[in-house]
Amino acid sequence: MKKRVVLAGCSLLALLTMSGLSGCSSVQPWEKQNLAKPAMTFDRDRLDTGYTEHMYSSKEAASGGSGVGGGGCGCN
Amino acid sequence: MQSTQGKKSNRKARVLGSILASAAMLLPSAKNALADAAPEEGVVSLKYLNYHDRQTGDTSFTAGMSKDRTTVNALSLMTVVPIAGKWSIATTFIEDSVTGASPAYHGWGFPPDSKKDTTSGASGDLRYVGDLAVTRYFSRGTLTAGASYSQESDYISRGISLNGTLSTESRNTTFSLGTAYSSDTVFLNKSNVVDSKRSDTPGRKRVVSGLFGVTQVLSQNDIMQLTATYTHGNGYYSDPYKDPDARPGKRRMFTLMTRLNHHFDGPDGTARLAYRYYTDTFGIEAHTFTAEYGQPLPHGWEITPMVRYYSQSAASFYVPTGDDPRKPTPTDGMEYYSEDQRLSAFGAFSYGVKVAKELGRSWSADVKYEHSEQRYNWGINGPGDPGIPTFDFRSIQVGLSRKF
Amino acid sequence: MNMMRFNMKTFRTLAIGCALFFGLSASGHAFEKGDKIADFTLPGKAGTVKLSDMAGSVIYLDFWASWCGPCRQSFPWMNQMQAKYKAKGFQVLAVNLDTKTDDAIKFLAQVPANFTVAFDPKGQTPRVYGVKGMPTSFLIDRNGKVLLQHAGFRPADEEELERQIQAALGGK
Repeated sequence: MKKRVVLAGCSLLALLTMSGLSGCSSVQPWEKQNLAKPAMTFDRDRLDTGYTEHMYSSKEAASGGSGVGGGGCGCN
Repeated sequence: MQSTQGKKSNRKARVLGSILASAAMLLPSAKNALADAAPEEGVVSLKYLNYHDRQTGDTSFTAGMSKDRTTVNALSLMTVVPIAGKWSIATTFIEDSVTGASPAYHGWGFPPDSKKDTTSGASGDLRYVGDLAVTRYFSRGTLTAGASYSQESDYISRGISLNGTLSTESRNTTFSLGTAYSSDTVFLNKSNVVDSKRSDTPGRKRVVSGLFGVTQVLSQNDIMQLTATYTHGNGYYSDPYKDPDARPGKRRMFTLMTRLNHHFDGPDGTARLAYRYYTDTFGIEAHTFTAEYGQPLPHGWEITPMVRYYSQSAASFYVPTGDDPRKPTPTDGMEYYSEDQRLSAFGAFSYGVKVAKELGRSWSADVKYEHSEQRYNWGINGPGDPGIPTFDFRSIQVGLSRKF
Repeated sequence: MNMMRFNMKTFRTLAIGCALFFGLSASGHAFEKGDKIADFTLPGKAGTVKLSDMAGSVIYLDFWASWCGPCRQSFPWMNQMQAKYKAKGFQVLAVNLDTKTDDAIKFLAQVPANFTVAFDPKGQTPRVYGVKGMPTSFLIDRNGKVLLQHAGFRPADEEELERQIQAALGGK
């Protein structure tokens, strides 16, 4: 339990640190040529992601992490 | 702001030169992917999945425990329709059919003495999933409301979700906040439900989850995302088809996902790295590392090799195999217990490759192969159970997509 | 737990690096309604382009890049506006911001642009104009004052933008 509290604290800190980075708008809108590529997005092929997450989550204990909501799964 | 005359004419000469040099070349098909811009085009995608897994008793302890287990064939269809540049409606429909048994419980899952092997496991025959998400795009954010429904012969799941994003004025930082609720029904009146669990009253499960994420542009070539998710589930978590198997009625899960995408200017390729930390109140802790690299090639081809490593610890109520892995282990005096190998400690290594091709401006096709193997002694979260045979699966995906 | 500590260390390093970088880069404030425009001279598709040479016209100044989807969508509309209101003293000036001007040339070979195009691969002008998104456009009146700043482009915006152009042309 103690470990979990430490962990929650750590991740909160990490998130806040990242939020702190928002102050540095170092990349200008016209400099986002590479960032605008579909390859740089985090959900490029949703059907692929759906299948892959479903395969792993039904054979492993861990699941989720990249979003909430979406299709249900009758696996324990 | 004034350029000097010399600079100007230099640049002009270069511009004119390159007009001649490159006028015949095709434009890269890159689209604007800013988080809060509505899609400019509609998309219809179709994807087929073939999945097969098996177990291999490759140690003297597990010899003779090899078996081909499950085959899944699935088809999914997704449509995304933009409306007036401010809305989009995304729908997904999936149908899958499962044959064979789910992975082994060490007492029951192996021939020759497994009972009703072909119909056991929570995944019966056919599963249908439908889901709908409506997104409203604002100048600096999005709001998405979703609903989903999933049905199989012994299981129904209904879910709703609400997700929002908000970007800073520079759009270099995006915060996301999401919540989801699902209500699941587990039918316990099927003939193959174990006697002690059979009931006309279905089991229920209610799951609430919340998410907070930050996406940060680090440089012109780097973008990073950190997402924390907390999931709070209450209800029926046991497996109706297995005995001994009694699990706690609540499960709290926490994940922290870190992702980094990096673009390489030279080869014009993209590396995508992810690490996920997972922990839950079943006592499981897991680490997942994923790395892939997408390399665009001439004529609209792209090849993406990937690797993945996963490791988990055992659930606190996991019952290890005894002297004979094929015999159920006594659970006398234990409140919760399970022999499900998915709750044991193991490590898994996967590799895969995806090949995609743009077919003109609006069509694209892709094929993906992936192989994953779990071994009790590949983990980094404590010792595994040597009585669990090696498990592996391979999958093939074939997709076709059209933009409108 | 080791993993977490590693992450924290990484973030701290990133935060320090970012703070240093921020100290070195600052962007100009956005040009708003009523502001007098800043003049600039840039190489163009058909010779040097100087903004002040267009004085007396109503100008639609558009900042765009070849990789930006909405920018592509705006081209047919800008062609249409240029053709429709040219006689009344209306000009479109599209400043390309691709770091590699070659990419813009490839784009223009595919997408027709019947208006003035200039190239600013160093991104000096958008910095002065405080461009916050792609594309960003400014409607400038005959006296060189900003009438409107518009971020992004979607078909739904066309009608309103055209009304603004008409108003600018009608008002002397």
